[in-house]
Amino acid sequence: MTSDTSPNPASVAPPLDGRGRRSLAESLLNVRELAPGLGLVVVVLFFTLQTGNFWSPQTMTAITTVASTIAIVAVGVTMLMISGEFDLSVGQNFAFTPIVWAILFVSNGMNEWLALAIALVIAGCVGVVNGLVTTLFGIPSFITTLGMFFVLQGMNNLLISGHQLIMFDPSVTMSLLGGRIGSTPFYAPIVWMFLIAIVFWFVLAHLRYGNWTLATGGRAGPAKAMGVPTARIKRTNFIISAFFAGLAGCMQFSYIRGVTQGQGQNYELLAITAAVLGGTSLFGGTGTIWGSVIGAFLLATIQIGLVLIGVPGSFYVTFIGVMLVIVVIANVRLGRFGSSQA
Amino acid sequence: MSNLPLHVEAPAAIPEKTREIDRSGEPVFELRSISHSYGRNKVIFDVSLSVWAGEVVALVGDNGAGKSTLLKIFAGYQQPTAGTLRFMGKDMRFSTPAQARAIGIEAVYQDLAMVEQLSLWRNFFLGKEIVHKLGPLNILGRREMRHAAQKAVAELGLTRVRTGDEAVWTLSGGERQSVAITRAMHFGAKLLLLDEPTAALSVRETRNVLQSIARARDHGLGILYIDHNMSHVLPVADRIVLLELGRVVRIIDRGEVSVEELQDLIARRTQRALA
Repeated sequence: MTSDTSPNPASVAPPLDGRGRRSLAESLLNVRELAPGLGLVVVVLFFTLQTGNFWSPQTMTAITTVASTIAIVAVGVTMLMISGEFDLSVGQNFAFTPIVWAILFVSNGMNEWLALAIALVIAGCVGVVNGLVTTLFGIPSFITTLGMFFVLQGMNNLLISGHQLIMFDPSVTMSLLGGRIGSTPFYAPIVWMFLIAIVFWFVLAHLRYGNWTLATGGRAGPAKAMGVPTARIKRTNFIISAFFAGLAGCMQFSYIRGVTQGQGQNYELLAITAAVLGGTSLFGGTGTIWGSVIGAFLLATIQIGLVLIGVPGSFYVTFIGVMLVIVVIANVRLGRFGSSQA
Repeated sequence: MSNLPLHVEAPAAIPEKTREIDRSGEPVFELRSISHSYGRNKVIFDVSLSVWAGEVVALVGDNGAGKSTLLKIFAGYQQPTAGTLRFMGKDMRFSTPAQARAIGIEAVYQDLAMVEQLSLWRNFFLGKEIVHKLGPLNILGRREMRHAAQKAVAELGLTRVRTGDEAVWTLSGGERQSVAITRAMHFGAKLLLLDEPTAALSVRETRNVLQSIARARDHGLGILYIDHNMSHVLPVADRIVLLELGRVVRIIDRGEVSVEELQDLIARRTQRALA
């Protein structure tokens, strides 16, 4: 800057400390997970005070298993949303994949590992179709995946037509995916959830792929001009989203030891809600994996907590709906359109 | 700058050239007898034009003169229907902008310069990230990139940015373009293409962008740019190419004309062409 320019005071940031770093308080405020994290703390405190048995093993089991499957779906959905697209078919895929798996190995006696592999490949193929249709024809993914939602719903009807597939003796794969961890109140999905979240946190923050995902959803025009293969990035994230929805569905099946076509109902919207509560933008370009994990825990805690204080079980979605709208209004009002993605 | 009229909007702050243009060798980029048609509609007629290293060439002319089409041909977005392109003395043909970019032709568009939500260093290195290979993984060299971006941007003197972690939406349109020009220099571009870099910018911002252009020029880049505002063209342009209905009608050397003369020239010729 030349000396004659007196910069607008509002545009000049406060000075840094000697090493060119932000102060601790400022760094904390820049953590996108801070707001949803505080929200979770408040909700947990509320239910701890309102109920006598919030920290009981039964409650912990219920919250962590609900949270972990939503969170695994939400991690894939978050990657896709950051790259600027939606997937409304994850809820149906959450039932479809374990139904395929169960039919192959429970009903037809196929090797359970092979059956699982086939089911997961089919789950991924759902994402391949979603991605190809969206990027090749240039139509909104909202429509593509809404179409896929109905296609899979029809398939689920066709495959088990209102029945329930039950597996009485858990197999090796089922114990791995949904078994209890020793004598703790926790089950395998929570461990998988943390592993998957760590992997995608690393992908988003430290891999070129993550950088390209953020750029693609931020603004595809400049990203493309800079040589980012935006269509390929989107297609890959469609596959990630579909694959992890299918995998989470298989975990749910392994934990419950049964699957109906109603499994995963509303999950597409719950996953988006978890992501948005966690700070992911509906318009792409910003979001974090841990934010979505926290969002999933918020949803699960409210769901189980309301039951504990005697609210009818299915009422919780009303509460979630109101909270979602309030959080988005707060985000817009506070102007957190996009914090830095360091 | 003494031979320029005094009422130029962006005054003395644009640095003078540090060296003369060496026209003994080959130009950075050359169009030879280029013609172009969109379907049956011919828009460029036999245009020959060269840009040398360290030279700023401004394309001026009214709407529909063919400026944008020529810029697109330079950037590889359009393949001319006739004529040859030469880059650093060799015949060239691009089928995509990516090819043009790969050999050192960098286009900076005001609205396409940056991804707002990303931090400065992520923008600076977007598409050209420093990565460390670990098997199939491309791990970002975050510290190197942050450091390099911060250093490059510090030289621009941006007041709003303190660290490379800051998101780009805190920057103004002019600052983003200055960063984009700095980025092009950093990655060794030979030719810089700018499409109305000063449109809708304040006086101060305009001067900052023109300073960045001058810096790139002194760094030895060839620069081709389109601008509508003659008072922004004159302080930095070495040659002004006047286009009219797809033809080069005049090439004016630096200092030959004043802003008014240039504006008159364009208006008069346009009137005559329309009559």
